[in-house]
This record gives sequence, C-alpha cells and structure tokens, in this order.
Amino acid sequence: MAQVENIIEMLHITKEFPGIIANDDVTLQLRRGEIHALLGENGAGKSTLMSVLFGLYQPEKGIIKKNGAEVKIHDPNDATALGIGMVHQHFKLIEVFTVLDNIILGAETTKLGFLSKKEARKKVEALSERYGLKVDLDARVEDITVGMQQRVEILKMLYRDNEILIFDEPTAVLTPQEIDELMATMKEFAKEGKSILFISHKLNEIMAVADRVTVLRKGRCVGTVDTKDTDKQALSNMMVGRPVQLEVDKTPAKPGEVVLEVEHFTVPARGSHKRDAVHDVSFQVRAGEIVCIAGIDGNGQTEFIHGLTGLDRASGSIRLLGEDVSHASIRGRGKHMSHIPEDRHKHGLVLDFTLERNLVLQRFREPRFQKAGFIDQKAVRAYAEKLIEQFDVRSGQGPVTIARSMSGGNQQKAIIARELDRDKPLVVAVQPTRGLDVGAIEYIHSQLVRQRDQGKAILLVSLELDEVMSLSDRILVMYEGEIVGELDPKATTVQELGLYMAGAKRADGRKEVEGA
Amino acid sequence: MRDKAITLWNKEGTRSVVASLISILIGLLVGSILVLVMGLFTPSLGMRGAWDGIRLVFFGILSTGRDAAGELTFGFNGVNIGNMLFRAMPLILTGLSVAVAYQTGLFNIGAPGQYLMGTMATLVIALSIPAGSMPKLVIWLLAFFGGMLAGALWGCIPGLVKAFLNINEVLACIMTNWIAGNLVAAVFDGSRFRNMVETTKTGYIYKTTFGLTRVAAGTGLGGGDYTYVDGAGVATAKMGLDKLFPGSQINGGILIAILIAVLVYILMSKTTLGYQLKACGANRHAARYAGINDKRNIVLSMAIAGALAGTAAALYCLSGNTEYYWTSAYQTLPAVGFNGIPVALLAVCNPIAVIFTGCFMSMLNVVGLQMRNLTAYNEYIADVIIAVIVYFSAFSLVIKNILSGRKKRRSQASAPAAPPDPGPATAEKGGEGK
Repeated sequence: MAQVENIIEMLHITKEFPGIIANDDVTLQLRRGEIHALLGENGAGKSTLMSVLFGLYQPEKGIIKKNGAEVKIHDPNDATALGIGMVHQHFKLIEVFTVLDNIILGAETTKLGFLSKKEARKKVEALSERYGLKVDLDARVEDITVGMQQRVEILKMLYRDNEILIFDEPTAVLTPQEIDELMATMKEFAKEGKSILFISHKLNEIMAVADRVTVLRKGRCVGTVDTKDTDKQALSNMMVGRPVQLEVDKTPAKPGEVVLEVEHFTVPARGSHKRDAVHDVSFQVRAGEIVCIAGIDGNGQTEFIHGLTGLDRASGSIRLLGEDVSHASIRGRGKHMSHIPEDRHKHGLVLDFTLERNLVLQRFREPRFQKAGFIDQKAVRAYAEKLIEQFDVRSGQGPVTIARSMSGGNQQKAIIARELDRDKPLVVAVQPTRGLDVGAIEYIHSQLVRQRDQGKAILLVSLELDEVMSLSDRILVMYEGEIVGELDPKATTVQELGLYMAGAKRADGRKEVEGA
Repeated sequence: MRDKAITLWNKEGTRSVVASLISILIGLLVGSILVLVMGLFTPSLGMRGAWDGIRLVFFGILSTGRDAAGELTFGFNGVNIGNMLFRAMPLILTGLSVAVAYQTGLFNIGAPGQYLMGTMATLVIALSIPAGSMPKLVIWLLAFFGGMLAGALWGCIPGLVKAFLNINEVLACIMTNWIAGNLVAAVFDGSRFRNMVETTKTGYIYKTTFGLTRVAAGTGLGGGDYTYVDGAGVATAKMGLDKLFPGSQINGGILIAILIAVLVYILMSKTTLGYQLKACGANRHAARYAGINDKRNIVLSMAIAGALAGTAAALYCLSGNTEYYWTSAYQTLPAVGFNGIPVALLAVCNPIAVIFTGCFMSMLNVVGLQMRNLTAYNEYIADVIIAVIVYFSAFSLVIKNILSGRKKRRSQASAPAAPPDPGPATAEKGGEGK
C-alpha cells in the first residue's frame, strides 16, 4: 500500500481550551473513497478535531493538507469551498423553514437576485432519488422525524457537491432500521469515491461500516488500524486504555417488595393527536429488579415518564411504597424517586450554573446544605468534591466549572452522580447512556446494577436493544402508548423483541404474567 | 486546586468590571466627540467652549464654577456630589428592580408603573394620617412600606399573568405601566392631596413635609376641619449627610438604598430563595424537574422587583424636598423607572455593581446640569451622552470577550508545555487567522 492517495491529512493538530488540551499532536489521514472512523471516549477530542477540519476552531499547532497541498480553513465557508461537509451531532437546521429551504440555505440558486427554487428542487429531488434519501421537501423541519432531519443534513452536503463527508455521531438519535439505512448510504457514497469521516463510539457500527479506524484517547492519537485486522474488544481496550467489560456483569435478580405500582395510567394526547399518548398502562416494579420499558422512540415512553414524575398531567394511580402519589407534586414524588431525565440539557442541568450548584439541584433545601435559608457554601463545595471524586466527573475547573462547558458524557455523569447519591428506593433512568462511550456505559451499567443489588427498584427506559437485553431483569414493550408485552430477557431473542417493538406482535393475557 | 479555582473566579469578576469601565470610557470619548462637533458648529461655543464642554463631560462632578478670569475651576463640590447621591437613590433601586427580575429570566420593563404605584401609596398614606395622631417615625414607616407593598402588588400582576397564562411579561408590564399612569392621575384628580396652600403651584401634590393638621371647625381646606401645614409632615432623616455635602438635596435615603442593594445581593447569591429564583430564570424546565415551584418563583421574582421599584418611589417622595407633578402622570411615565434598565445592564445585573452604575448615571445627570449652567450647551447633550454610554455598555460583553481572548493568547505564548519545534510561529499565525 505504498501509493495510497490521501485526500485529507491533518498533521500534528493541537487545540487547547482553558484548562484542557482537547487535541494533542493528533494526526489523521483520510484516503479517497474510504470510510474512516474516529473512535474515542467522550471528551477524547473527536468532535474538536472535526470542528478544526470544518473551520469552527483554529488549531494552535499543526497543518491541514488537501491532496497534498497545505490549506487554511478559517471558517465553514472555507471548508465548504474545499468540498468538506459535516453532519453535526446536534443538527444545524432552522426549525420553521421547510426542508428545501434548509437544504439550499447559503447556497441558493438565484436569477437576477431573486430566488429560483425550481432548479434547486430538481437537483435535490434527483439526489434524494439517487441515494434513496427520502424526504418531504415541503414539510417544515420541526414537523419531521429526527431520522428525516438527518437525511436533510446529508442532502445539504450532497447539494453542495461535497466530497469529504463528516458524520458526527450520526446514529445516536436513530432507530435500528434507520441506522441500517444510514450505513448502506454511507457505503454507497464511499463506492462513488466520496471520503467519509465517521465519528462514533459504537463498536458494532464501526466494525460494520468502516475501512480504517483512528482511535483517540484523552486528546492523543492512540493509533490507526484496519478494521479487518482488529476486533471490538481490541478497539475498546485501545479507546479506554484498559481492558473493558463489554457485557454487563450481574447476578440474577432477587425481587423484593413492590416499590412502584402503576394502574390504569393514561396520559392524554398532546396537540393535534387524537390518540392518548399513553393509554391504560399498569405494571409493578419491585425492589431489587431492573424493569426496562423498551420500544421505538416516540411510542409514549417520554410522555409516560413525564406523567410518572409529575412533569405532565396524567390520570390513573401511582403508588410509591404503598403511598398514593397520583396527585403529589414533583417534589412530593421526588421524596421516594430519583430521575435521570431523558433530556439532560432541558431537564437535567441548569447549564449556566456551576457544577456544584447543579449537584444540589434538589437537595439544597436539606438542613445539611442550608442554615436558616442561607446556602452553606462550604457544605455544597465539599459535597460536590465528594461526588466528583466518587463518580469521576471530569471538568476544567472542578466544582466551579459552568455546566455548559463540560462534555456531554461528563454532564451525564454529573446527573447520574446526583441522582444515585440521593439514595431513593426508586430510580427512574431514561436513556441513561445515550450518546456515551463504552467506558462510561460500562460504568453507568455497573452503577445501576449495584443500585439494584442494594435493593433499589430501577425503572429503565431505553431505545438501545443491547442495553435492554443485557441490563434488564424484565422487559415491558411499549408500542403506541400501550404496553404490548412483557418479556424475560433470558427467554427471548432480539428478533422477538423487535417484533413487539414494531407492533407486529402482542402478548395475550398480559395480566397473568404481571407481578408473577 | 481550590485556590486556583477561586483566583479564576476572581478574574472573571475583574474582567467584568474592567469591561464595564472600558465601555464607559468609550462612551465618554464618543460623547466628547459629539460635544466637540457641536461646539465647533455653534458660534457661541467655538473651540474654547468645546474644550470646556469636554472637560465637564469627564470631570463635571468636580467642577466648582468659574474663576475671576472666566476659567473653569475644579475641586471638591459638596453640592454636586450630594445631588448625585440623591439622584442615585431611586436609580439604584429601580436598577435593582430590573436586575433581580433579569437574574430570574424576566425582563421587568414595568418599573415605571411600579414606581408610580409606589408614589401614589406613599403620598396617600403620608398625607392622610393626621399629624400628631402617631409618632412621625411611624407615619414615615407606614408610608415607606406602603409604597414598597404597592410596587410589589403591581409587579405581581405581570408575574401572575406570565406564570399562569404564559403571557410575555414585557407585554403585561407595558400595559400595567399605562394603567398605573392613568390610575394615579385619576386618584389624585380632585383629591385633597393637591397642593392648594402654595397658590403659585398648580398640578402638584403636597410634599410629605406637609402634615394634615386639625384647625377650627369649618376653616380648613374646602370648609373642612383639617388643613395642610408645612413642617408638620414627615421626611427622611438627613443622618448627618447634609453636613458632609452642605447645600445639596441629599438625605439618609441613599444609605437605605445601598443597604437594600447589599440585602438583595445576599438574597440572590447566598440564600436558597435566590438559588431557586436564579434556577428558574436560567432553566425553567430543570427547575421544575428538580421540584422547584416555577410559577411561584416567577410571581415572587416580579413581586420583589416591584417592591424595589416601589421603594424607589417611596424614598424619593419621602425626601421632603420633592414634589410630585401628578397632572402629567397619564402622559409620561417616570424616566427613573426606565433608567433602571441601563443601570442594571451596565452593572451586569450584579446588585453591588448597581450601586456604582446608579451613581454613575446620576453623575451624568449632574454633569448635564453643570454644562447648562457653566457653558452654552443645553442639558440635553448629557442625555445624548447617557444614550451613547448605554449603547456602548451593551458592548461590555464583547469587550470582556476580547479581554479574555488576549489573556488566553498571552498565557499560551508563555506556556512552558509548548514543544519547541515549529510551534510558536504557527501558533501565532493560527491566532491571527481570525
């Protein structure tokens, strides 16, 4: 392989932020027509490196070459001019614009200064046809699914004739089927000679789709390997820097008394929908077991949790430790329940507060943290330092770091630290590992299992089939707001679970199984 | 680690102060250019007049008039400084009003209305209680807290509407402002609080130094048994400040305003209530998730903001040397309410900083007067300069970012960790690449 053409070379890139070196002498070489994965834990510097390539950050050191010639990328316009396109982890779309408007934005076709969308529409339609990227050009972005939003982002790159495509954690928000489609599309692109940089920490996907992998750890480049010469275990060890347990290690559950009992629980429809968001759901969660609500995103899981925790109105009865809390306030329910929320930015954290203030978000009223209405700053600091140490929350400035400046994984760790340390009999964990890397997932899973073994009741909501199968003791499948089946993860298969999730199968006599 | 964090935190604060000072300086410089241009185009001023004007823009607070040769003289001027502090008193409080709401994520543009309601309550209470029926201090306290309470209640309205109907507080505030204006005019119109004793004045309400005094039956106002007698009423104690700044309008109210600023600072940054208010402001969803009652906090925040604006009015009315001109209440909203907004913004909504920015704004006011008295400029030029400075104060964040950018770059250049190879040259290039 002496004469391999590198379309992009990033040589000795160093990028620093206050208190942290995000990239430390990182070198990455992308060949024409390959799918090159960039693997690393949260905060390893993957997104920073790609932002450097896309012109969002200027590196302190290092150079970028395209086709062997050095280039300067000062802003995304330069990147676009060089044929570099990027699909960001958090999409950069204008919600109230139509799909077509979003695609052509910044590269509009004009006639005498007036927009002429006809040609643009033709071009987009052709691209969408050719790659099987189905989108509704006239729908507003706010009305379409996350999967379609991503296809819009991809079409944006294609519309600009980009030949180097960067995908920043593209699968984090997709359903399993959508992931398969995306993989196929990426392979198609590569076949046509486009080069793809694929940021991920999901080993399955990388093994399935990438030709080569560059592994980053703590801002440094660990190495670049061919996927055919490696395996998942080796990659994860490279990424984390120590042998990692990929399977959840747990003993059989020993369910105790009933902690949570939900009966005829209904969350009314929102907006224009006719159907109840959650309809007549009943189940129990016992101490010492992990019960998982599985399902494809958007089948009422979010609404159910909001109703359960008191964030939204719901009817039906909720009993916590035998006490009826159906009409209790959020705070009242919080007495026996901790909640790792689905949306860590919306609900989980006050992003402009410091880490320490976020860690006492519910507990600041406790006598331990206040005296006569005055916050005991020393106690808060000491508590924060304890949690940071215990849960290994990494940040630039420790307890006084502003939450917004922390990496996603560490934000999640902070929330988990806060919620688990509240030590409540019921732990509601909604997608606790979303967007996290193997090391962090391993840690969070082991924490949840430990909580279970301490006799906590765990209600888990997850979209990841692997997580559902490996972590839970019982699985409840939610489809269109109803629980359509209860499964034993040891006695079922991913295929069967998938059928329930897709609504193709429903259990009869579910009530007999329940509480058994 | 902890010491390091504290130093960093301090730096952040220092940077804010420096940024605010720089934006004030830029504002003053741009104001000076205006003064210069105006001077050069006004025959009666010329270069000489412009130079006087520019010196007054910067040092007007210290001007002591003109000497025998007609040159401006500078030095300690107790009247100027006393008047500055006197005018700062309500500005600090309305500034606090805006700042508290802002820290809670609300924009309190309703301070003028709250101020008006405070004015009304204070005056009505102070002028309704017959002199001598209770100690003066009690009357003063009743009037003071009456004004505060009226402001708080008026502030509650936009808060309630926002919390329960999700109607934008700015909209509700603007409407309550005009309701207050007309309400106040309606209450005073035809009332006995209109100054009838000093016949040279029309359209004014009695100063609070006037006390409702019993006279022989049928000889009082309108044939009643009571009349108003100057000196029988109440006024804020001078607390010795008149000795410090003789000849000025100052009274103890400024000390009360500063004390309140300190209390607000403690409330917002040291108490659980302040924590809740700020959490609601920064992220209402997260606050709700954590079991904080967001609706209650929105109403409470607006009530506190209203109480502060009401207090501004109460202290101003109770000064004893101020008169309320009620006839225009329904046409013009009190500027001191709106001026709370720039006072708060220039202070980055820090309650302690509000004390200084409030003084700064009133200083410009005094400077305007000086310019009118000592030069051929009119005081409107001071308003122009205030406007320019407020405009530039909006840039204080930009300036802050520039400052931190500098600092970062410098620390990188001196960082020992930098490897010697092609390092420095490319680093600098990268830095300039922006």
